[in-house]
Amino acid sequence: MTRYIAGRVLVLGVLLFGLLCITFVISHVIPGDPARLAAGPDASDAMVRTLRAQYGLDRPLGAQFVVYTRGLLRGDFGLSLRSRNAVAEDLARFFPNTLELVTLSLLLAIVVGVPLGMLSAVYRDTWIDHWSRVMSVSGVAVPAFWLGLMLQLVIALHLGWLPLGGRLNLTTALPQPITHLLLVDATLRGEWATLGDGLRHAVLPVVTLCFPALASILRVNRAEMIETLHQDYILNARAQGLGGVRVVAKYALRNAMIPTLTMIGLRYGWMLGGTLLVESVFDWPGIGLYAVNSALSSDFVPVMGVTLVIGLNFMLANLLVDLGYAWLDPRLRRTAA
Amino acid sequence: MHHALGLVVLLVFLTCVAGAPAVAFERVGDRKILVFVGRQEVPTIDPSIKYDWSIRMMQQSVYDALVKYVGPSAEIVPWLAEKWETSADGRTWTFHLAKNARFHNGDPVTAEAVRWSFARTLKLNQGPSWMLSDFLKEDGIKVVNATTVQFTLTQPFGPFLSVVPWWYVMNPRQVMANEQNGDAGQKWLTTNEAGSGPFKIKRWQPGTLYELEAVDDYWKGWPSRDHVGGVIYKLVREAAAQRAAIIRGEADIAEGLTPDDYDQVAKMPGVVVPEFPGMTTFGLKMNTQRGATKDLNLRKAIAYAFDYDAFLKIYNGHAVLEDSPFPKATKGYSAVPGFYRQDLNKAREYLAKSAYPTGGIELEYVYFDGLEEERKMGLVLIDNLARLGLKVKMTATTWPNMVARASKVETSPDFLAVFTTPVSTDPDAVAYQYHKSSWGKYYGSSYYANDAVWALIDQARTTVKWADRAPLYTDIQKKVADDVPEIFGMLMNRRWGMRDHVKGFSFSPVRFTGEVDLYPLAIIAK
Repeated sequence: MTRYIAGRVLVLGVLLFGLLCITFVISHVIPGDPARLAAGPDASDAMVRTLRAQYGLDRPLGAQFVVYTRGLLRGDFGLSLRSRNAVAEDLARFFPNTLELVTLSLLLAIVVGVPLGMLSAVYRDTWIDHWSRVMSVSGVAVPAFWLGLMLQLVIALHLGWLPLGGRLNLTTALPQPITHLLLVDATLRGEWATLGDGLRHAVLPVVTLCFPALASILRVNRAEMIETLHQDYILNARAQGLGGVRVVAKYALRNAMIPTLTMIGLRYGWMLGGTLLVESVFDWPGIGLYAVNSALSSDFVPVMGVTLVIGLNFMLANLLVDLGYAWLDPRLRRTAA
Repeated sequence: MHHALGLVVLLVFLTCVAGAPAVAFERVGDRKILVFVGRQEVPTIDPSIKYDWSIRMMQQSVYDALVKYVGPSAEIVPWLAEKWETSADGRTWTFHLAKNARFHNGDPVTAEAVRWSFARTLKLNQGPSWMLSDFLKEDGIKVVNATTVQFTLTQPFGPFLSVVPWWYVMNPRQVMANEQNGDAGQKWLTTNEAGSGPFKIKRWQPGTLYELEAVDDYWKGWPSRDHVGGVIYKLVREAAAQRAAIIRGEADIAEGLTPDDYDQVAKMPGVVVPEFPGMTTFGLKMNTQRGATKDLNLRKAIAYAFDYDAFLKIYNGHAVLEDSPFPKATKGYSAVPGFYRQDLNKAREYLAKSAYPTGGIELEYVYFDGLEEERKMGLVLIDNLARLGLKVKMTATTWPNMVARASKVETSPDFLAVFTTPVSTDPDAVAYQYHKSSWGKYYGSSYYANDAVWALIDQARTTVKWADRAPLYTDIQKKVADDVPEIFGMLMNRRWGMRDHVKGFSFSPVRFTGEVDLYPLAIIAK
């Protein structure tokens, strides 16, 4: 098992280096002069040259790549031309917000999607199943930005139950950082009012982001459960007089969860890189917004940083999924060993 | 389809917000905190590094300059400098500082601080440095005594005073105490301030909000007893959310709404939409060095074929047409007689004289992807030029791509949709856009060339007496108009959505698009 994990980590490193190369090349061949944009519309050529030299953009591409890669090994993601900040600091500021949003959304999607998929399969062709299928189809079909706007209009604006956007009320101070995850920090600091405020602000974006994931999880879990429930070993278990709940929850669900787990892993990676629209609609200061604002300014250093962070998280999610397989299925454990 | 969808969303939205109770501004203790919602971030607040409307709004609030632009006439009034004098040859400027001026940490604002701040900006060679770098060197700034500073220019520069308001004074002691690896405090000043302005930073959450707190004992005093106790500048990027925030009273000021949104929010109770003639010009720059638009007669034909009233319709009447290459608020502006308006007969006359008498060519119109007004202008262009047998291809692209295309004469398109805001009311700020030095910049994408005009611009900017400069600028306006390097468009009115308890708003045309002077604002409400 240890060799298996070590092998996967090695592959992960190779993939990450490949991602770095591709991102670096793409970032540097797209049209646009980041130095000119950063210098401002009125900047003279001399000013643009100064900025280019200051940020090493006047050096050959290969030299820039070496400098960038060396920096990465020290945890230095370079400097943003737009904000003049260290990208690592920006990532540390914005990524936790996205991580919280995605994690909460995915947890909600799992907590609702898995039982619903299971119930839908068990009570196939009943009203529960019909309702679940409507939910799964609409979850895939409804664009996130539209759902977000509608939730804002109805829940926030018309009913006034929840805030329109942002992470906290305007006059609520952020808790002193420990993990940089706002909700976690508020809990650790015992700032319950801040925690409550943060959760209220999180509800609408979390529901919006969760909906497509929930639909996918529900659909996959339902399909797998239907197939599993027709397996011989399930029939055998039932024939031996085991209770319905025990058969479904202990024997069927565990096997049906393997493809669902793949889906969850993929979804996690996808959601980390796909929060832009939700972050825009709800003014959620996450990594997606940061990436787009940087890309629109041709500020490619932050874009590379974001891509690497998302890529790394995507790969880690897949690694965890693979390890989860082994936990769920003893046969895989033996093969890996 | 998009319009229908937009209309439905708008109707649902208005139905939802109608009758919603207005919430007051924020309060912290007995302080009334003004909430300003805007779409543009403030990536840095360092006065030597960068400026745009949102950055400058913050810089203006936490820093002071020697002089300041005030009011609709953009009058330059004393600020850190109580008075100043200039030598007869216009090369030496001496400023006498207010003796009671203090930085936020209590240090006095001295002549040395002024010298250091100007020298830092020149040395870093970023931000506003371009405004003076051709005329002022570090050794030309001299501290005469603790409250007197003297600038000796390398040559006379008529517009000198007009750019001084954008050179903010920093506290060198505070900045250098936070210097890292010889960066002249750049890293620290990105999110911190070392100023003497009416506000200081309370919270700085990049990408989310920026909060300023009023300095109660501001050395220059406050214009109103009810002055705001602080300002929260909150980033709200979605147009619908921005509109909702102002209608529901969750924001006191909103900028950057669409023309339709402004008209809608103006009808809401408790909301006012102040409107002022702006200095931001909109034009369709034509490449005068390459392709078909190199042909002067073709450019004239195009200029006469364009339906200028369409500009006003697109902005629901909240704009005025240009009648000179210079905006109306520019010093020395003079309307050019017989300025371009739609005249199809003249258009056909010039087309006949051009190298394309029967049209039959395709021209490219490049505009900012996502800006609906520019897209509509492209449609007007297609319709108008079709009458001359000219086709127009519309290319929507990102701002970096527009800048990249404008940076070379070979790639600069036939038409580039460009909004331009001059940095001052001095005519040089506009005229210089037609100088060879502006080639490669987005507003220089016409690659305009006229030796006589360039010589006039150079002569005018190095002339000291206004009486001598004024006729030169009149001549420049006529000559540039005659060469028609662009379809001279319109001046969009400046508007803000504002709650009616916000008082003291002072408009100045030199401020950039959404920029507001926060100092005179007051909140008059229980």
